[in-house]
Amino acid sequence: MTMELYATAEEVMRAVERLQEFAQAQGLPEKTIFGLALALEECGSNIVNHALQRDPQQKFQVGIEKTGDSFAIEIRDRGPEFDPTAVAERPPQAVEDDLPGGWGIQLVRRYMDEVRYRREAGENVLRLTKRLTTPPREK
Amino acid sequence: MPLEIQIQKSIAGQDTGAVTVKLTGSLDTATAPELERQLAPVLIPQGGIKDIVFDLAQLKFISSAGLRVFSSTRKTLKERNGQASFVNMQPQIQEVFEIMKSLPGVAVFKDVAELDRYLAVRQRSHLNQ
Repeated sequence: MTMELYATAEEVMRAVERLQEFAQAQGLPEKTIFGLALALEECGSNIVNHALQRDPQQKFQVGIEKTGDSFAIEIRDRGPEFDPTAVAERPPQAVEDDLPGGWGIQLVRRYMDEVRYRREAGENVLRLTKRLTTPPREK
Repeated sequence: MPLEIQIQKSIAGQDTGAVTVKLTGSLDTATAPELERQLAPVLIPQGGIKDIVFDLAQLKFISSAGLRVFSSTRKTLKERNGQASFVNMQPQIQEVFEIMKSLPGVAVFKDVAELDRYLAVRQRSHLNQ
C-alpha cells in the first residue's frame, strides 16, 4: 500500500491511521501496531518539520508492506539530503532541543528492528523494518 | 485520532491550587501544539499554579512531540518548586516513558514512578485535611 501525502502534521497522522488500519487487517498484535505507528509518526514528522520545512505544497510518499515474517515502512521525500540515522545518539542539550531526530529517532530504533537510509535519484529513502516472528528461544 | 483536553483546577476534587489535565486520544505531532496552547494560560507566572497532574488513563498514543510538551511543562513548574506528575498510564504509554528514562540526559523523566507515589501521598493528605 502506498500513500502520497502533503508535508503537514495532519497528513502524517493520516498516514499513521492508514498504517494502523492496514496492520490491524493483517492481524498484527496491538503492541506491534503501536510501535509501527510511533515509528511512522516520528519519521514522518521529522521529514515534514526538517527535510520539507513544513511546506504544505511539498509531498512525501509512504509505502507499507507486509511480507511473510516482516513488516516494512518506506518513506520517500525529495527534500535536501537528510539522513536521520546519522544523528548521533547524544543527549539533548536543552529541553526544547529540536535537533532533527533527537528523541524521535531514538524511539524509532527501539521499536523497529532495522532503520536504513539511502539517497537515491534525488530522494531521501528511509526504510523501517519490523520482524514479526519471535526468534526461537535459546535452550 | 484527535486529542481531547480537560483542564480542572483541582486534584481528585480538592482545590489545592493545582491543576489536573485529563487527556483522551492521541498526543502527537498534529495535536501537541493544541495542548501547548491550552497549557500556556495555566502556566503564566501570575497564575500561581505550581503543580499539574496529567491524567493519562484515556491516552492511547504519544510521540516525542507530546513528550516535549510534558518536558517543557515539567521544567517550568520545577523552576517554581512545583512539579508535573503523570498518572494512570496505559502500558504502551508507560513503555514510551520508560524508553525516554533510559536515554542519557533525559533527567526530566527520571522519577516518574516516585512522582506517582508522591502524588498518592499528597492526595491522601488533601483528603484527610
